[in-house]
Amino acid sequence: MKRILLALFGVAALAMAMLTPAFAQSKGTVYYLVPTLLDEFQTGSITALELFLKQVGYDMKTLNADNKTDAQQSQMNDTIALKPAAIILAAVDFNALKPSIEAAMAAGIPVVEFDRQITSTPSAFTSVAGTVEIGYVAAASAEKLLTAKYGSVKGKVLQILGDPGDPYTLDIQKGFEEKLAAFPDVKIISVPAMGWAADAAGTIANDQLVANPDIDLIFSHAAHLSVAVVASLEAAGKKPGDIMLMSSNGAPVGLDLIRKGWLNVEVEQPLYAQAAAVAMFMDRIVAHQEIKAGEYDVLGLKGVVTIEAWGPNIKVPGTAIDKDNVDNPAFWGNMKAPSGTVTSVP
Amino acid sequence: MTPRNRRLLEFTLDNLVWLMLLVVLAAFSLTIPNYFQINIFTNIIEASSVLGVMSIGLALVIIAGHMDLSVESVAALSAMVMGIIFCSAGIGIGVHLTPDWLAVPASLALALGAGALIGAFNGYLIVKVKMNAFIVTLASYIWVRGLVLAVSGGRSAQDLAPAIRFFGIQRVIGIPLTAWIAIICYVVFSFVMARTRFGRHLIMIGGNEAATFRAGIRVSRILLIAFILAGAIAGLSGWLLAVRTSGATANLGIGLLFNAFAAVVIGGVSLKGGVGALPGVYAGVLLLSAINTAINLMGLPATSTQVIHGLLVLAAVLLDTFKQTIRQRLA
Repeated sequence: MKRILLALFGVAALAMAMLTPAFAQSKGTVYYLVPTLLDEFQTGSITALELFLKQVGYDMKTLNADNKTDAQQSQMNDTIALKPAAIILAAVDFNALKPSIEAAMAAGIPVVEFDRQITSTPSAFTSVAGTVEIGYVAAASAEKLLTAKYGSVKGKVLQILGDPGDPYTLDIQKGFEEKLAAFPDVKIISVPAMGWAADAAGTIANDQLVANPDIDLIFSHAAHLSVAVVASLEAAGKKPGDIMLMSSNGAPVGLDLIRKGWLNVEVEQPLYAQAAAVAMFMDRIVAHQEIKAGEYDVLGLKGVVTIEAWGPNIKVPGTAIDKDNVDNPAFWGNMKAPSGTVTSVP
Repeated sequence: MTPRNRRLLEFTLDNLVWLMLLVVLAAFSLTIPNYFQINIFTNIIEASSVLGVMSIGLALVIIAGHMDLSVESVAALSAMVMGIIFCSAGIGIGVHLTPDWLAVPASLALALGAGALIGAFNGYLIVKVKMNAFIVTLASYIWVRGLVLAVSGGRSAQDLAPAIRFFGIQRVIGIPLTAWIAIICYVVFSFVMARTRFGRHLIMIGGNEAATFRAGIRVSRILLIAFILAGAIAGLSGWLLAVRTSGATANLGIGLLFNAFAAVVIGGVSLKGGVGALPGVYAGVLLLSAINTAINLMGLPATSTQVIHGLLVLAAVLLDTFKQTIRQRLA
């Protein structure tokens, strides 16, 4: 009996010894405060951040705010009490989280802004694609499509926004309309899909195509809205190519629509690169070391770090996806884990 | 007031919501460019299909003096389950049945079954365990939406099987089949409420549950059936939602519950129970859809549309309250 017990203790001790190095490898826990899980970009960001942070030695835990600002504020307060290595914040509200960010930074916990830039208060690091810039990329694609159709930049564009309470969609709208303002022959009709609901987008497309049958291009602010738009077009007897379509965020459904010929352009948010950039700099962020301005290679894309009033800010440009490059595995919408590994910036 | 005038006034009050609908349609047609055309009216009917069907189930339990806050989430769950099984892109596994048309009854059974199951669960807790309907269905509203998220992982299912999608594309007299399904549901349930014992008992329960029980009517059984029906009908609205959008996303149908409540109230159903007729509810749904379409066409700034939507709904409810006041004076 004594031998059996000794043997069991031996096995347990061996198992503990094998586990210890794994614990020792972790440099700490990082909390990711995700705004919602009702969006493929957000669920994809969890997978990507977890993968890349693991590669540089950090564990990650995720808290979902269900798009509620007050819930995210409470999560920030709770997380500060846990004293994690860092907090990654994709803010529900770009400004309301300011006091919580300041509280975390004052407690010595670095806060990283992910995807949603907060300029009203300093943070340790910001990694964004630039929502206004997504609007610019979309506008450039719209210019090309309209020129291809008419020989010059003119026509009628239906812009289906997301929820009007979401700064993300308002920023894209700002960028898109700002660039196209240079073309007075382009008429933009903007209508919001409340709650980012796909069925609302379908209804908007239905109504607008009846009221404005001369619409040339429909730009939806998320790929899942385009799916409902396509369903409406299909029900109205339209075929792929009858009306030009664009959307943004690069979700898998958008890429599928390109392959089927419905969607002309999907403006990708470089999710993998945005997440990889956070992981690359995490050691320096946690150690409160300086992050230098300059160009950095982020999974093959050119990320530019600038030192702004709100702290170091890396911007990775969004990409216009069309039928020629749709199968590129680097696009997160293709759901292929990135082959490249991330190493910490020394 | 002469008996003839009184009858005329009562008829007008009974159908005031239809009159409101006509006035609103006329006002929008005169003031909003491109509103007055047959295709816009068809769009209004089409856009009403999901909300319309969902409002039937909600109206049944409200008329019975209870409430079901879970209908929106139940619709989303039915749509997602159906999407996962019968969609071929995204998270859809693309189950293929032979012959193809079998997908229609199978998906309907799935959607109705999922809804009825949750309705039965709600009903059991409310009727048998005597828990508060508001709390039970609020909990279901939350956990069922959570279940949608859990089964989908936040991803979406796309490319519904063509045999099912047929109902979203095919039109009869210019109106899509989805809208016809909603209209048929209204005809059937209006008949059930007005001409069957079940319907009359449901109204009696909503008016006075204790008196109905003392009259020897099996109140618990009827209430349980009402909750199961509300769930199954919500499942059907989920089926229509998936058909309309050719798939399902985790946020599908968000906000429908509040519109369903607005439609039911505008349609003349009393939140206290015992009063209401389904044709009025359908008029309420059409009225909301007409307002939505007007907002879509007005080209207002995105940030102000919710305010206008809310105010228009409030105006409709105020008018309904005015109607109740006149009716009380007549009584």
